[in-house]
Amino acid sequence: MNHISKNRQGWRRFIKPLIAVATVASCATTTAVIAAPQVGASSPVTITYLTHWGPTQVNMLKADAAAFHKINPNITVDFQAVPFGNLLSTIDTQGPSGNGWTIAGVYDLWLPALVNGGLAASAPSADASDVKANWPANLVADVTKSGAVRGFPNEVDLYALNYNKALFKAAGIAQPPANWTELVTDAKKLTIPSKGQQGFGVITDWAAGVVHPWLSLVDSDGGSLLTGLTPNLKSRAPMAASNLYAELVKAGSTVATMSTANAETTGPYLDNFTSGKTAMIIMANWWEADLQSAMGSKFSDIGTAPIPIGPNGTKSSSVSYSWLTIVNGKANSAKQAAAWEFLQYLNGPKSGTKGSSAMGDALISMGILPSRLSDVTAHKAQLNSPFLKTYVSELPNATPFPTVLGGEQMTDTLQTAIESIDFGQASPAAAMQSAQSQISSILKSANR
Amino acid sequence: MTAGVQSAVLFPSRKRHAGGRGTRRSRRLHEGRWGAFLLSPALAVVICFVFAPIALTIWISFHNWSMLTPITQMPWVGLSNYRTIFDDPTFRSSLMDTVIYVGLVVALTVPLATLIGMLLYFPRNRLKGFASTALFATYVIPTVAVAIVWGALYEPSYGPLAEMFKAVGLPAPAFLSSPSTALVSLVAFNIWQMLGYYTVLMIAGLTQIPGELYEVASIDGAGVVRQTFSITLPLLRRTMTFVILIALINAVQVFDPVYLLTQGGPINSTDVISYEIQRTAFEYGLAGQASAMSVSLLVVLGAVAAILLGLMRERSR
Repeated sequence: MNHISKNRQGWRRFIKPLIAVATVASCATTTAVIAAPQVGASSPVTITYLTHWGPTQVNMLKADAAAFHKINPNITVDFQAVPFGNLLSTIDTQGPSGNGWTIAGVYDLWLPALVNGGLAASAPSADASDVKANWPANLVADVTKSGAVRGFPNEVDLYALNYNKALFKAAGIAQPPANWTELVTDAKKLTIPSKGQQGFGVITDWAAGVVHPWLSLVDSDGGSLLTGLTPNLKSRAPMAASNLYAELVKAGSTVATMSTANAETTGPYLDNFTSGKTAMIIMANWWEADLQSAMGSKFSDIGTAPIPIGPNGTKSSSVSYSWLTIVNGKANSAKQAAAWEFLQYLNGPKSGTKGSSAMGDALISMGILPSRLSDVTAHKAQLNSPFLKTYVSELPNATPFPTVLGGEQMTDTLQTAIESIDFGQASPAAAMQSAQSQISSILKSANR
Repeated sequence: MTAGVQSAVLFPSRKRHAGGRGTRRSRRLHEGRWGAFLLSPALAVVICFVFAPIALTIWISFHNWSMLTPITQMPWVGLSNYRTIFDDPTFRSSLMDTVIYVGLVVALTVPLATLIGMLLYFPRNRLKGFASTALFATYVIPTVAVAIVWGALYEPSYGPLAEMFKAVGLPAPAFLSSPSTALVSLVAFNIWQMLGYYTVLMIAGLTQIPGELYEVASIDGAGVVRQTFSITLPLLRRTMTFVILIALINAVQVFDPVYLLTQGGPINSTDVISYEIQRTAFEYGLAGQASAMSVSLLVVLGAVAAILLGLMRERSR
């Protein structure tokens, strides 16, 4: 027997057990995969819900999960809360393995990329039918990608002009501005440099905080951000909104250095408004809770009004965006089934109080508009509050922010352009020209 | 007499030598194996956690990858990611921000650390231990916690620093809220946090200078200034090079304060490269481009380090 055949025999000694182990392992894996759908129904399964919500709302969700566990003792829901700034990176890094989060609350702008990456599973037909029957058509369209419903819409946000009634009264202004001309005039009257008071506040250092209010003005002037995948930044309305910002800055009515936001989307811009140093600002409904906690009894000084209409606009129209809960398409089928079951319960009309879903109750506790039609009815009284009623009444006129691949990069690029106008570092024409060219290239590359 | 015996008689030392060399060689081999064995855990750690990730990053930089799909399914794009990032004005501006930030940090920190190090090392003072500890304490506190505090300090309307300016009748700078001051404010934060660490390194370097040199210089009539420029600074050159390198690497890595306080703004004025890499990879899902940025940064850092070390060797000759 030569060395080669001896070695071969030696290899065989190792290979045989290896093959046996591999066979057993693959059989076990196959069995697990095949058996998985039944495990969800009959064996204990633990799923993880990833959210950026704060402790109060997470505790509400935990209570809902505990109630669900009583009905479905085999399904346990764990929660993982991260700051908003870390949410997308957590979704990206933990999602692909399938062993991290099972359910995640996501911003609709992220959905196209998550669908592309296989992280947003298609809803089972029963859940898809439920969404189609019980949510407004524009939101159903928003959560439908590649022909399938990808989750339950929950939070819907839009923008309105927030103004300090006490400062308006002191300046002798009876009504909030309804159009851009009034906005410029009122902002000037409300600006008192000696007191460090600005008439109209903007937001910087936070992409959505910069872009959404500006785009709400564009939409209220009859314009739009995109036509298909082509940006319209050099068209009339975006140029008009940019010129409006430049005019406010030049007049001293907007002080860009009072506008900073931090990673928690709070910071000086919020502090300046709550402390009465900013008379007007365009902001979303969800910051009601922040205003209440910062202002206490002075919260009643805050009024809300529709976005002022531009010279070529016919109606006020705010940008809107939504959030939805998706199920990880990379999780095993038992976890996916359990996750859809929990979401059905959480968003269903029996889990909350007085005909609301548990999700609707959690949202309304933060001053956020729920989107399920029956939730809107159940919370009619709260939604009719002086602060929220403007937002609710403007919801039908809202223009959804375009959710396209490359949307995050597009928003950041637009943010830079708008900030350069806020700080007087670029003319509106130059800023829009630069953004137009960069965004065209971003969208072209992302959607290749 | 046989040939073997003849040879042994004629070349006795040669044979002994040959035998000695063989023993030494085998001893060396033995020691080498032990050395390799003893070093292998550390080497394995370095290979797994340094070289393998670098190699993987270089590999990813030649692909289009969103991190949402398996790494085995990345499409090859060659040098396309490198072309894209160098055509991108945002990347070019983040490179420039990084260069300014690093330049300011190094240019301000190293002389300050040298000066404070000398002030703490030479005078005989009971309080210098306390002063060193106090200086070093800022390095120990987690950056995240400190950044949040500095965010409040820098608040332009009612922050303590703004109030101090107002108290003396000066207009308060906007600090983090203006594109012209935001990066400099982050530099000040870095200097405050890292100065103690570099000072301790400088003091360690000063302890290596023989005291006799100062005694001889004093006898020869050299004053403090002459001693500083003729003895201290020349002999501190190696420590200074080390501190410059560490300060440079540390400054290039700046991320936490940018992430927490400015998000790269306003107008991308604090969009340093580490933040841009994170944003490109995790927010835009462009891990290939982010890897190309990381590799470019690695090359630049390697080149700068090589130049610095080369200069030091040249001057040491």
